[in-house]
Amino acid sequence: MTDIGMVLGRLGNKLVTEVAPKLEGDYSGGHAAMAGFMAVMAGEAWDGAADRLVNEIAGMRGLFALAGHDVAVPESSSVKVSDLTVERDALAQELITLQAALETKGDEASRDLNTKIWMHLMATAMIRMPSPPEFPEPEPA
Amino acid sequence: MLEAELAARFAAYAEAKLLGARNVSVANVARIHGGASRQTYSIDLTYDDATGPKTKGLVLRRDPPDSLIDTERRVEFAAIRSAYGQKDIPVPEALFLETENDALGAPFFVMGRIEGGVVANPFKLDMIEPHRADIGRDFFQHLGSIAALPVEGSALAHEVEVPAPDACWKRELAYWSNEIRSNAKSPQPVAEAAIRHLERNPPPPAQRLSIVHGDYRTGNFLHDEAGSINAILDWEMAHIGDPYEDLAWATDPLWCGNDMERAAGFLPWPEAIEIWQRASGCRFDPAAFEWWSIFAHVKALGIWVTSEKAFANAENDDPILAWSGWFTHAAHELMLAMRLGPKYGVTQ
Repeated sequence: MTDIGMVLGRLGNKLVTEVAPKLEGDYSGGHAAMAGFMAVMAGEAWDGAADRLVNEIAGMRGLFALAGHDVAVPESSSVKVSDLTVERDALAQELITLQAALETKGDEASRDLNTKIWMHLMATAMIRMPSPPEFPEPEPA
Repeated sequence: MLEAELAARFAAYAEAKLLGARNVSVANVARIHGGASRQTYSIDLTYDDATGPKTKGLVLRRDPPDSLIDTERRVEFAAIRSAYGQKDIPVPEALFLETENDALGAPFFVMGRIEGGVVANPFKLDMIEPHRADIGRDFFQHLGSIAALPVEGSALAHEVEVPAPDACWKRELAYWSNEIRSNAKSPQPVAEAAIRHLERNPPPPAQRLSIVHGDYRTGNFLHDEAGSINAILDWEMAHIGDPYEDLAWATDPLWCGNDMERAAGFLPWPEAIEIWQRASGCRFDPAAFEWWSIFAHVKALGIWVTSEKAFANAENDDPILAWSGWFTHAAHELMLAMRLGPKYGVTQ
């Protein structure tokens, strides 16, 4: 079975709608419900993770190109999420440095590039926001 | 520690602490969900004293291996004592404080249990209808009353630093910036940009120094399901500072059930602010509120990255920490980006 998103979604649904209600009143009931919620979220995130990282990386490399800034961050050797995350994190650290430097300059080009960085930060924050899973209300016992 | 062992050890502890009590035993002990910053237990204690058999409801807050917030239980205990019996603020009675591991394997403190209250879920605020407005009036009344508590001579002032009015913002921003930089598992460009923005645009000095609850919000109070708040809980982040910190935190969108039209999801903004002004003695200053409300998002990120780290490093496997490090982190990062981007030229 390779449809990871489907598997996680189904497991999450089972935890929230079947397991957690049976544990109501016990501390572990809260754990089961929370684990179920996050299993569904993980299924959704799994599907888009590589795409999100590739776009985030491309967006940051584009901003560095606009700044005429050579970044010494090598491209990932694979499209594994773990490799892409290493590349994304290295670029994000460089982006912090670039933006802080731009904020100290008053020229129009710096302000314009800073605006573009904010557009990137807004867009990536939006894409990272998981949609909270919704479950049907449990049937009365 | 298993709950049966905890009950036995706590009974022995309570017998030594309760003057005149004999035959002390724990009739019930149940862990309360959600208290990841401390392990929280509801306990029914039975004993005999000179007047006959007694039953007492208690809440035990014990330090976990790791927590959402690294705080001293001494501070929380002092904050509760500072508010207890003052200005009709509903707080439990702070009873015993243990800073050593001997009695229960970790430091802890004990409060009286306030009976008959339920927690309001910030993600399901509709469930408090038809009492939304009444609870909201209590919510802002108590928030203002906490801000008006005397600082000088309070139990809390003996435990924490008292900053100058113009230094409150700097101290809080430095603390939470350090939390983010020390604990984040990946670079945080949005948080870093927000920190720089706040440093460049400081708020006015505090109108007064106040006891700041530090985590006053929906989810941290109990209500009686008839329109009244009957307990204000979770004082572990209490300190002395600018009362705007609590006002901004209490009205952060994350706790408002997505209802931006009402302050904290409860009341029309003018009514909420009017109640808070009357109770606190402060006047509403939009510039101060703007700064502290952006700061509230940064502070939240500080808490969420700390949660994520604790979970990822297997220091604490409570799933609430993973949820905080993921969902609520993403929510506050998005709020910050959407608020600050337009200030730097982004048109929506």
